[in-house]
Amino acid sequence: MKLQHSNTRKLALLSVLAALCLAIQLTPRPPNVEFTSFFTFIVGLIYGALNGAFFGCFVMFVNGFLSPYGFSGLNMPFQMVGMAITGILGGVYKSHISERDNSARFCIEAAILGAFSALIFDLITNAGVSFSYILAGMDPILALLTAVAYGTFFSIIHISSNTTVFGVLTLPSIKALDNLIGGGELWLRKDHSYLQH
Amino acid sequence: MVEKRSLVFATLATIVWAVSISSLAAYFYLQNATYSEQIAENQQSLNTMAVNYNEAMTKRNTLLSEYSMLYGNYSFPLGTNFTLLTKLFNILMDNLKGNYSYLLMNQKDLNETYHALLNQTITINQKGNVTREEFGELLNEFYELFNLLAIRELSRIISETVTLTASICIIYENGTEKWHNKTSIPTGSSLFQLTQKIAKVNYTYSAWMKPGHIRLTAINDETEYTEYKTGYSEGRAWIWYYWDDNKQEWLSGPVGCDAWMLKDEDIYKWNFEYWRWP
Repeated sequence: MKLQHSNTRKLALLSVLAALCLAIQLTPRPPNVEFTSFFTFIVGLIYGALNGAFFGCFVMFVNGFLSPYGFSGLNMPFQMVGMAITGILGGVYKSHISERDNSARFCIEAAILGAFSALIFDLITNAGVSFSYILAGMDPILALLTAVAYGTFFSIIHISSNTTVFGVLTLPSIKALDNLIGGGELWLRKDHSYLQH
Repeated sequence: MVEKRSLVFATLATIVWAVSISSLAAYFYLQNATYSEQIAENQQSLNTMAVNYNEAMTKRNTLLSEYSMLYGNYSFPLGTNFTLLTKLFNILMDNLKGNYSYLLMNQKDLNETYHALLNQTITINQKGNVTREEFGELLNEFYELFNLLAIRELSRIISETVTLTASICIIYENGTEKWHNKTSIPTGSSLFQLTQKIAKVNYTYSAWMKPGHIRLTAINDETEYTEYKTGYSEGRAWIWYYWDDNKQEWLSGPVGCDAWMLKDEDIYKWNFEYWRWP
């Protein structure tokens, strides 16, 4: 019975977060400033790498059809894989958090992971873009280099915004979600006092 | 001693920094390569344009010299046999055709003007005794056509490097306005060519009308008409206007649409206008 409650709560939270992600994705905003990777990371952090990966995949799949920038088409699988990696990063990070960590360290690490996840996501999606260049007859290495090079400014915006969002919002979000779900998940059962040092 | 986890995060941060900076360097390298290529292409175009310009000027000067010689004979007509001069004029016409064959083949309005002049020459030749006035008229017509060809030739040379855009509106009898904004067209094109590009047109060639001999009779199947009533006549005809940026108003086209050369960012309209006479 307890497991069933836990699953329902988990499903409800994931649904709300997915809806929130999509609503933000559809909101007018500067290009490459996004919150999906942040929520995906949070889901990975709370529910583990597998759930995080699935959440990221799902949101990018739906976003691929509804995005204000148009149907993502050939790039959709690359976006799904890129976002899944962000979820996995959250899950992996979860297993390395120590009770001795303080808030500052947690924020810095989250910021670095945000930047890293943005970089990985951009590299993968740029590879997707280069795939269309290859189909048009361009040399594969040149196509990849061109896609990465011309995506640099967007990538820098993405990395900067992710660094800020992850660094600033991860800790308060974890605390808020912890209160919401009552510490039902693994690492949230720990005493959080260390995060407030 | 630095713990392993800190090292991992420091490495991740370094990777992010290194990849971002490398991408930025690659971006600037590609941009530099692209710009260098464009500069080389532009230089090549300019060189080609300079060569073509020299050729065009040589052609023009040669023809102008021949014309000048003929005009000299015409101007000092002491005992001049104008019938004999028309033979020289025929040679001048042949040279004109030979030097501007590309334009005469590809630009309908110029072709028609050339053939009208040729027919006029043949008619005068067939008549036998050519008068001073008749020959003077031929020379005037030739000079106008020659100037127009020289301008179009220069425009054609420029158009190999530069393209211009112009906007045009067609206003039909029922008041419907159809805009064609920022239409790209080669430099040196006339309003007639722009209109032909954006609409289906019918036209007539009027020898008495100048500069420009083309009069549009229909645009997109909306044909001009005249109704004769008791004591007056009325109808509709296609009239063109251009937008004067300084005066901020539409001004009526002062010449035939085939003589009006387009400038970049020009705005035009064709109005199916009502008229009544008297």
